[in-house]
Amino acid sequence: MSLVIVCPSCDLAHQAAVGPASWATRCARCRAPLQRPENGRIDTAVAIAVCALVLFFLSNAYPLVSIQYSGTTRDTTLLGAAMGLYSQGHAGLAALVFFTTIVGPFLQIACLMYLLIPLRLRREAPGQNTVFRLLAQLRPWTFVEVFMLGALVALVRLTAYARVIPGIALWSCGLLMFALAALTSRTTPGQFWRWVDGSRT
Amino acid sequence: MSTAATGRSLGLLVCLQCRATVRALEVQYPRCPRCYAHIYPRKPHSLALTAALLVCAAVLYIPANLLPVMYTRTLFDDERDTIMSGVLTLMQSGSWPIAVLVFVASIVVPLLKIIALSVVVFSAWRGSERFRMQRSELFRMVEFIGRWSMLDVYAISLLVALVQIRSLAFVSVGPGALAFAAVVVLTQVAARTFDERLLWESPK
Repeated sequence: MSLVIVCPSCDLAHQAAVGPASWATRCARCRAPLQRPENGRIDTAVAIAVCALVLFFLSNAYPLVSIQYSGTTRDTTLLGAAMGLYSQGHAGLAALVFFTTIVGPFLQIACLMYLLIPLRLRREAPGQNTVFRLLAQLRPWTFVEVFMLGALVALVRLTAYARVIPGIALWSCGLLMFALAALTSRTTPGQFWRWVDGSRT
Repeated sequence: MSTAATGRSLGLLVCLQCRATVRALEVQYPRCPRCYAHIYPRKPHSLALTAALLVCAAVLYIPANLLPVMYTRTLFDDERDTIMSGVLTLMQSGSWPIAVLVFVASIVVPLLKIIALSVVVFSAWRGSERFRMQRSELFRMVEFIGRWSMLDVYAISLLVALVQIRSLAFVSVGPGALAFAAVVVLTQVAARTFDERLLWESPK
């Protein structure tokens, strides 16, 4: 028995075996990724989500970096980066930084926990479809890894003028970047709906 | 290749949110039976929207590179940095790997992105049949790399937050930063409104 899957990138129809793919497949025509092996356990995903939430909390509660410049010390948090822009009258830029580095990652983690924890208990969260679609819209707008590299660039620029001391949040933000990547790759839409189907039977 | 069975020829739609393959129904606004997202045979007004967003991005790319993105005031001098002068400063201070990184992420990638998306949109509009796979892969690469252009915006936001030692040194944001961020956001949205499947269709 086989079923038809259509490539979302070029519309070519493929025949695929029923059941989870055991290896990654690509479209025969445009080479876009078509299926991923989907044998992940929901427990792992929940554990990574909890881990990411803790790291997110640490990244926001502690200063990212402090600088010492002729006797004065100054530090900033993740929120401080957005607030600095806001206080200079760049509300749009501040909103962009705030959304992509704080709201985006938080909502992504929160949505996943909201969806996965009830699924783990073989229930479905109220408004599951809406939350799932929100999550799919959010994913491309989370820029934690880009922020980390940007922070590195800023620090290198500053070392020429001041003493730079990395804070706790810088390390936790670096780990958060990996946790979010692991979470995203383990909760692909295909995998998510397979868990949903599994909880319904 | 011309006889390949496609979703369209079989009357199947694919939900771009949850990737379910569903049978196309004759209703006005079909929704995915699994995740209830709107599903379209093709993204609506894809070429027009993407082209409009690209034109905006291409226009804003000019002020983004010519206007200062950052002002630095210290006791001794005032500096106004554009993206390029920031790269040159990094180069002179000896951290050339970082300078190359910023140059690629902030100048090369946005420009290549605008060019690559224009090529893809134009060829999809013409229904060109050559190099389809290369264009398809180019598009996916652009989508993946584009996000890294935000790097400089974050670097500036951190410098602004940190260097506020009133009498000694003071960093503020220039108008170029806003134009630059707009270029990145517009090109990201443009990549999302473009429907890749149009690359594989011949004009009727």
